[in-house]
Amino acid sequence: MNEIKTENVSFSYDQKTIVLKDINLTLANKPTAIIGQNGAGKSTLVKLFKGLLKPTEGDIWINGKNTKEFTAAQLASHIGLVFQNPGDQIFKHKVIDEVMFGPLNIGQSREKAYQNSIEALKKVHMEKYKDENPYDLNLSQQKLVTIASILAMDPPIIIFDEPTIGQDDFGKELLKNLIRDLAAEGKLVLTIIHDMDFVAETFERTIVMNQGEVILDGPTREVFAKEDIIKLAKLDLPHVMQMAKVFGIEETVLTVDELITRLQRI
Amino acid sequence: MKMTLYVAKNSIVHKSDPITKLTYCLVAAIVPYIIPNHLFAFVIMLLSISLLLLGKVFRKMIPIYILSLFLLITIVIIQGIFHPDNVTPLFMLGPITFYQEGLLIASLLIIRIINMLSAFGVVILTTQPDDLIEALVKKGMSPRIGYVIGSVLQIIPQMSSMVGTIMDAQRSRGLETEGKLSTRIKAFIPLIGPVIMNSLIATRERSIALEIRGFNSKRKKTFLRDEKEFLFGKPYQLLLILCFIGAIIWRIFQ
Repeated sequence: MNEIKTENVSFSYDQKTIVLKDINLTLANKPTAIIGQNGAGKSTLVKLFKGLLKPTEGDIWINGKNTKEFTAAQLASHIGLVFQNPGDQIFKHKVIDEVMFGPLNIGQSREKAYQNSIEALKKVHMEKYKDENPYDLNLSQQKLVTIASILAMDPPIIIFDEPTIGQDDFGKELLKNLIRDLAAEGKLVLTIIHDMDFVAETFERTIVMNQGEVILDGPTREVFAKEDIIKLAKLDLPHVMQMAKVFGIEETVLTVDELITRLQRI
Repeated sequence: MKMTLYVAKNSIVHKSDPITKLTYCLVAAIVPYIIPNHLFAFVIMLLSISLLLLGKVFRKMIPIYILSLFLLITIVIIQGIFHPDNVTPLFMLGPITFYQEGLLIASLLIIRIINMLSAFGVVILTTQPDDLIEALVKKGMSPRIGYVIGSVLQIIPQMSSMVGTIMDAQRSRGLETEGKLSTRIKAFIPLIGPVIMNSLIATRERSIALEIRGFNSKRKKTFLRDEKEFLFGKPYQLLLILCFIGAIIWRIFQ
């Protein structure tokens, strides 16, 4: 069982402005989405998970390891983070080399790294591009390469930063299945995301952040039922819920299929 | 994130015309070379430093002076010991003899350098880059050059924040960036690769964006911002230029 635990975590970049206030969370097994406006502290929180930043106060444990005692590179095999912008990491001339970079860094043998990388590329349907130059791919393909580059390291915890940006329906469907598969393998999947439709369809648990605090946390269905708090965090409901409202359906529907079933009963 | 070296303070130097300050900077930096006289260079240096004090930015210059210390010490050593005109020994430091002639030359060089740094400090620390560029463009400088200067001033902080993100991304993939020298050298390519690619892509995008907004249009350009009122305008610039010409004439007839 994989677990991230935070205890009274606060963080500020300088002494003046507090970015995160007293965060107490236990994240385990269920795919979890962290949502909130820009500047709510989501990115800072995942950087803390990843050990890229260390809490100003409190402690964070990644599967029992206190992040304060390890460098980000040492934590890399325990927790993976896919960055939002592929341009921030791509530097090799071949997709396969780019994907193998992480696995080799964390000490996998060349054969194992290659094998894992091919597996990872297959998971995101990019294996046919393995000898291409990543800079020749389009943005959504580059993003899939960066996802594969983290999958190949096979960390038990994986965080996606805005995975759906630039993805078309096919890409989103692929991601949705990927996240479900990873969860089924027993991995803990987290994401920070603005795409409420994707959250509603994919994640079992949702955490709402506002101004550095967790203001709502629970099963996604219950979270979106609390419309007033969602509005308070200046977020929108998923489109399918907005649509349901138009039809006068009061209960929370999270997917198009649910809405159709509901409508057929009327 | 701080974009430039500009220090916002309320002073008479801040309120002065950017072009006047720029003219002062150039004249003050060059004239001590035209007139190779210790006392004269020293007075100009004091003038530049007092302008810094007047602008309440002298403290910001101290790290820059300290940084130049290495160069200054090198000058003293090289000139003091090895200058070809050296004949009069001044003092001994262990087995090494320092000569009067070389040290005199070194002191002049040092005064000139400190003066030059201070004069540039006056412009850079007390002038908002936008004001300076806009003033120059209004004077007839090509907006292209104005854009180049503006983007150079912006690119450093922009790059450093980009490098931060890239470093995070590579550390997330298990790249050690701290510790032994060999570790750091190995980390260089994964860090610099994306920086260069991102910069190239950003440059292309930016030039397209500029072109879309008519950057190369041949029409006379107007200015978005209201003209600011500055102290010490044209007459002072003219005065400075006259001083400059005066120095040249003095040198010719000397």
